[in-house]
Amino acid sequence: MKNEKAAKIIDKALKQGRKTLSEYEAKQVLAAYGIPVTKEVLAKDKPTLEKGLKKIGFPLVMKGCSADIAHKTEKGLIHVDIRTATEAKKAFRDIIAGMEGFEGGVLMQEMIKGRRELVMGLTRDPQFGPCVMFGLGGIFTEILRDVSFRRAPLEVRDAKEMMQEIKGHKILDAVRGMEAADQKLLVDMLISVGRIGLDFDSVMEIDLNPVILSGSKPVVVDALIVLK
Amino acid sequence: MFDRTGNTKIRKKNYPATDYERIFHPRKLAILGVSAGENSIGFGAGILKAILAMGFEGKIFPVNPKGGEIAGLNIYKRVEDIPEDIDFAVVSVAARFVPEALEACRIKGAAGAQILSSGFSELGTPEGQALERQIQEVAAKGIRVVGPNCFGIYCPRSALTLLPGPDLSRESGPVGFLAQSGGMSIDFAHAGKWMGIRFSKMVSFGNGADLREAELLHYLAGDPETKVITMYIEGIKDGEAFFREMKAAASQKPVIVYKGGLSRAGARAVASHTASMGGSRAIWQSMIRQAGAIGVADSEEMAQVTMAFSMLPQKSFRNITVVGGGGAIGVTACDLAETFGIEIPSLSAELQERIGNHLPKPGSSATNPIDVANPFVGPQALREVLLAAAEDPRIDLQIIVSLLFHYKGLAQAMNLPVSAVTPFRELAEAVRDVVDRTGKPVVAVLPNAKRGLESMDVTEMIAMARQEYIHRGIPVFDEMHDAIRAVARVNTYYGGRKK
Repeated sequence: MKNEKAAKIIDKALKQGRKTLSEYEAKQVLAAYGIPVTKEVLAKDKPTLEKGLKKIGFPLVMKGCSADIAHKTEKGLIHVDIRTATEAKKAFRDIIAGMEGFEGGVLMQEMIKGRRELVMGLTRDPQFGPCVMFGLGGIFTEILRDVSFRRAPLEVRDAKEMMQEIKGHKILDAVRGMEAADQKLLVDMLISVGRIGLDFDSVMEIDLNPVILSGSKPVVVDALIVLK
Repeated sequence: MFDRTGNTKIRKKNYPATDYERIFHPRKLAILGVSAGENSIGFGAGILKAILAMGFEGKIFPVNPKGGEIAGLNIYKRVEDIPEDIDFAVVSVAARFVPEALEACRIKGAAGAQILSSGFSELGTPEGQALERQIQEVAAKGIRVVGPNCFGIYCPRSALTLLPGPDLSRESGPVGFLAQSGGMSIDFAHAGKWMGIRFSKMVSFGNGADLREAELLHYLAGDPETKVITMYIEGIKDGEAFFREMKAAASQKPVIVYKGGLSRAGARAVASHTASMGGSRAIWQSMIRQAGAIGVADSEEMAQVTMAFSMLPQKSFRNITVVGGGGAIGVTACDLAETFGIEIPSLSAELQERIGNHLPKPGSSATNPIDVANPFVGPQALREVLLAAAEDPRIDLQIIVSLLFHYKGLAQAMNLPVSAVTPFRELAEAVRDVVDRTGKPVVAVLPNAKRGLESMDVTEMIAMARQEYIHRGIPVFDEMHDAIRAVARVNTYYGGRKK
């Protein structure tokens, strides 16, 4: 069964002729499928900014959020480790200025602490259809290319095997004083990413990078969903 | 039957009812496109002579509009003139005549036909594609087609053979092989002959206008003659069907997949990192694993792994011994074992002492790997070593490395042929005896460091030695690396997803 909340978000974007969902929208789609994402508020003006400060607290991450902006780091649209309301207001002004009039707002989200970054994603293979990816995240995704794929729908065994298959799979164990990752939750997330691909032919690609392990719990910190 | 796929919804595909028995084991065979004359060298005459040379026991009806005679057989001018119904046809006429010829075979009752002719969709021309569609239209009326643009079927039991294969083995065996490529098929058939791989049936299906990878995989999965399926794939037509059949087949028997034409070049422009990570190589490797099949990287590994699956018991072998003398065998074995996730455990002091009693001193080592110190330790001593080592209950399999090429020096000193001084038959007998007594398989490795023109006698002797082992059911590899890698692939199948 297609998730209705996710369908609404995707249909709206398609009607507007968009090729991507904004990060905020993408995370709502993910959350609708039970995938843990950062707690966040989309601030467009002063009152919503205040609301965000109250709801999320400090430290805080603020990002420019628009479907038209994919690579935010390169454009200086991400401010991290914001610890006061004054800093937050300055960041808000800077980001809005930096967005050069693009539609959207400023995404305020909790800052997830964790040294381990994973990646999950979905690609549509011309032969095999929607395939889910798992691997090392952050900057290592492209440097090491330590990733594995499984065709959707994934069984629990597929999800477990694809996690074991990457060379760096020990990152999921209890290492250097860090807790072992919640494998069951990771399995559910991978299965759900595949399900989104099966439910929506219009979803061409999904990038969840990084997925940060906060203690044992994986949380999607940044998300991109590309539409047909 | 138990469905291993669990919650995956299986979409049952209805393949057309097909009389595979008459396709693979025809008793009445028409060969179309045979030109008359003993010196005729066309494809049609070539395949006819090859099938005769293989000792085909059924009736052959050559067909050519010009008539005449070939190899003592009357050539019929038209398929319609054949006095009996036929089971199967080999079609080797010019492309433009193929649809009509195929229809005539269908009316004559053929269950199938293989079309060797080229000049169809592979040309990429509208004419070629139209002709291939006509083939499909005839096929849909009730004749299954292998090809066009293929080398056809090799079936040792019936003597159907690939082009040009008058000298393939007629010994049937457990391996079913599928490939689009005729060249890959004939090469593998020949390699199998000397490596000890025996085939149930082999199909090179070329353009795959009708029968192709998914459906043939489905057939081989259910074929009781086929215990191991090996395939070489370039492109597939329907990823979902192929994946489903690969997974279903791999739940029944080992499926070994060599995917050719993998490159990371992502032709598509993509926006996400995930899509750019994909590319055909990463996806294919993952699909093969997800289906529970065994991926191999090249044709050598394909042959070696197929041999291992077809000759070893159906289980995994985590702990092994390595026995050999001369060279850095011990270190090499340990390095390889670690790479491929296999253990070479040290033997107990008691076993080491007993093994040591059979070995020359100094220079030998009875731990594990067992270094027998020199390549001239005789078959009886090696037999005792292997028997003792197998007593360790952890040991699942033994590898014996014999550097037989060193006997060349001995032969020169004695002024005798190298094949006369090398006890390869006795070695093979000893190894067979060990396997029978211990119930634990032994794999032989016969490296040859003397491959030069001046040492052709060594090459010949090692080929003879290989035959002695193979005839006794002992798999033989050229190098220890190949042996350990192949055993590791067997372990992946039987130790991983299947118990």
